[in-house]
Amino acid sequence: MNIIINNLKKTFGEKVAVDIERYEIHSGDILGLVGNNGAGKSTLFRLILDLIKADTGNVHMAGVVQGNPIDINVTETEDWKDWTGAFIDESFLIDYLTPDEYFHFIARISNMSDEVLDSEMKKYEHFMAGEVTGQTKLIRNLSAGNKQKVGIVAALLLHPQILILDEPFNFLDPSSQNIIKHLLTSYNQETGATILISSHNLTHTVDICPRIALLENGHIIRDIENTNGEAQAELENYFEVEA
Amino acid sequence: MTKYQLYKLVEKTETLKDERHPMFERNKFMKFLAWFMVAYYAAILLFLGVVLGFALKGDYSAAYHRLDGGFFYLLIIDFWTRFALQETPAQKTHCYALLPIRRSFLMKIYLIRNMLSLGNLFWAFFLIPFGLVGVVPIAGWDAMLGWLIGYWLLFVFNGLCYLFVRALCMRHMLWFLAPLSIHIILACVCTIPDHNVLRVPFVMFINGFATWDLWAFLIIAGLISIVLWSNYRLQMGMLYNEIGKKEEVQLKNASQFSVLNRYGAMGEYLKMEIKLRMRNKQVRTQFFVGLGLIIFFSIMLYFTDIYDGGFMKSFICLYNYIILGVMTLGTIMCYEGNYIDGLMARRDSIYDLLRAKYYFNSAILILPFLFIIPLMIIGKISVWMNIGYLLFTVGVLYPCLFQLAAYNKNTLPLNTKLTSAKQGTMMQNIISMVILFLPLALEKISVLLLGPVWGYIPFIILGFIGITTHHLWLRNIYHRFMLRRYVNMEGFRASRNS
Repeated sequence: MNIIINNLKKTFGEKVAVDIERYEIHSGDILGLVGNNGAGKSTLFRLILDLIKADTGNVHMAGVVQGNPIDINVTETEDWKDWTGAFIDESFLIDYLTPDEYFHFIARISNMSDEVLDSEMKKYEHFMAGEVTGQTKLIRNLSAGNKQKVGIVAALLLHPQILILDEPFNFLDPSSQNIIKHLLTSYNQETGATILISSHNLTHTVDICPRIALLENGHIIRDIENTNGEAQAELENYFEVEA
Repeated sequence: MTKYQLYKLVEKTETLKDERHPMFERNKFMKFLAWFMVAYYAAILLFLGVVLGFALKGDYSAAYHRLDGGFFYLLIIDFWTRFALQETPAQKTHCYALLPIRRSFLMKIYLIRNMLSLGNLFWAFFLIPFGLVGVVPIAGWDAMLGWLIGYWLLFVFNGLCYLFVRALCMRHMLWFLAPLSIHIILACVCTIPDHNVLRVPFVMFINGFATWDLWAFLIIAGLISIVLWSNYRLQMGMLYNEIGKKEEVQLKNASQFSVLNRYGAMGEYLKMEIKLRMRNKQVRTQFFVGLGLIIFFSIMLYFTDIYDGGFMKSFICLYNYIILGVMTLGTIMCYEGNYIDGLMARRDSIYDLLRAKYYFNSAILILPFLFIIPLMIIGKISVWMNIGYLLFTVGVLYPCLFQLAAYNKNTLPLNTKLTSAKQGTMMQNIISMVILFLPLALEKISVLLLGPVWGYIPFIILGFIGITTHHLWLRNIYHRFMLRRYVNMEGFRASRNS
């Protein structure tokens, strides 16, 4: 599934949060968004997910769904929600449910049977390290890292063709960070899904993203090919200069 | 920085905190309403002060002695109204916990602010006109001054007592029974004709202020000191609890409500509605307060004859059906504001959620229906009125309340107490008022025109139409919600955690 951004602009008062003339994320890409605080990473994700209104422009999703070619503007239909999984922050979690209840909730409202859900959950057992499922703890009582795991697993659960994760490495312990890197790359290889992640962790981003977009004040100032990890030096150079 | 400068700084921060609350800042109507209500109650107190002053003037004893004998009632009213408006210092100070300010100093600041609060002077709107009519002509201006200062000190004492009880209630809700019991006992003693053993000591005590007797001031100063010290100790303990607040982390029994599994996605949203009420303190309290009111009014109507008038019977029947709806649907979507982004990322989730809310709130009316059955049996409420109001609630009043789903955009905390001053929008207030009183006017007209049986048939028909078309009007609300989604989501985000 391709994501096409056209003349997309969002301002908050005087501050330009996002200003992208045209940008295309190709089907099967793993795109890493990097940039300093306030660069517009989360705002861009929210615009793609139709959670905030753009001042101008639009986001299209184009590809093939069940054999039919589609090209939709995300503000005009809810169809894209069927093939998009996302986790931005805690406002995606119903925190008075237990993790198991939350996963069941997502599965059942999406017509996924309990058997399929159980087999899906097995894929993430290692990632959740026995601290998330099978508990009678409410999500709000979990540690920040475990909440992050719930959100990421919930986003992956329905096999989305587009996966959007904001700062997925945040709060996770080193083991879990490595596991999620592996999970994302293997998910991309197995399904051909388009994955967008934002991160302040340059190493992880360079490790898993063949393409990296560098944001500054809402603009994509560099679109870096990273097939062989060559983006590391360029990014380090950019952020060191900024420092 | 001196302690006084620090005091002024904290005071300024607290003022800004209220003034800049997102919902208060955006809601000009709420600002107007807040000032209007203050002016309204002040006018009522002024009126009562003047009327009561003249009514008691020329009585066998000084007018103010009559009031002083029953001053306890003023304290009771003052005490319980504070529950709706006032936070505890422990709740207010925890945001400063990590700043380099001594917590004990902060606590003292908040206790002093509480004592010097203008709220403690609000009763002056009643006491000054009363005193001008009833105290000054008899005892002079110096007595009036002492009398007013005495009352002010009593309200300061009352405010500190409230803080103490409020803090205890945060440990366990049942602590509210302590002041309730004391107030009931004292009120009972004060109402025994000719045997009110408290009247004379009360009059002597307050008269002590008017005559500037040192012992009266020493007593109240001593009482204030005791309750101030107790508050300080208790609130400091509560502050540590507030900072390290950790609710019970393990559910004793995570019920799955598997009976609802057969309803697919709708069943899941219904489960969510049930768990929303079971697992979140704020929502649960709201629900049980509504239920308590239903039980209270039903019992009062059943066992006493004080509500036997036609209007009151009708009001209680309607009130029993709609009060839960007004309380929970008045804030429809406000609790969902906490996880609105997650809901909005899924197709049709808001529509399904609205349907689940409708079914749940309709099903819950079985409770008031059960409470009204005994009233039907003893003939206080007619079968037609009961059925008419039940169907009218589900089919007409609920659709009115559900309109708020498209307009509510302030997130309410699920688990923490919010002062009522920060709740309610113009739309919520207007719809709640219309729903509580318009049906009664319609009923009067309908019964007058069609009689006590046929008068309720229009209610039944209208209710039936609303119920059978619920898919249509819910879908319409959903579409309007989606059209306003950016505005609403921005509001939910802005008011989350504020």
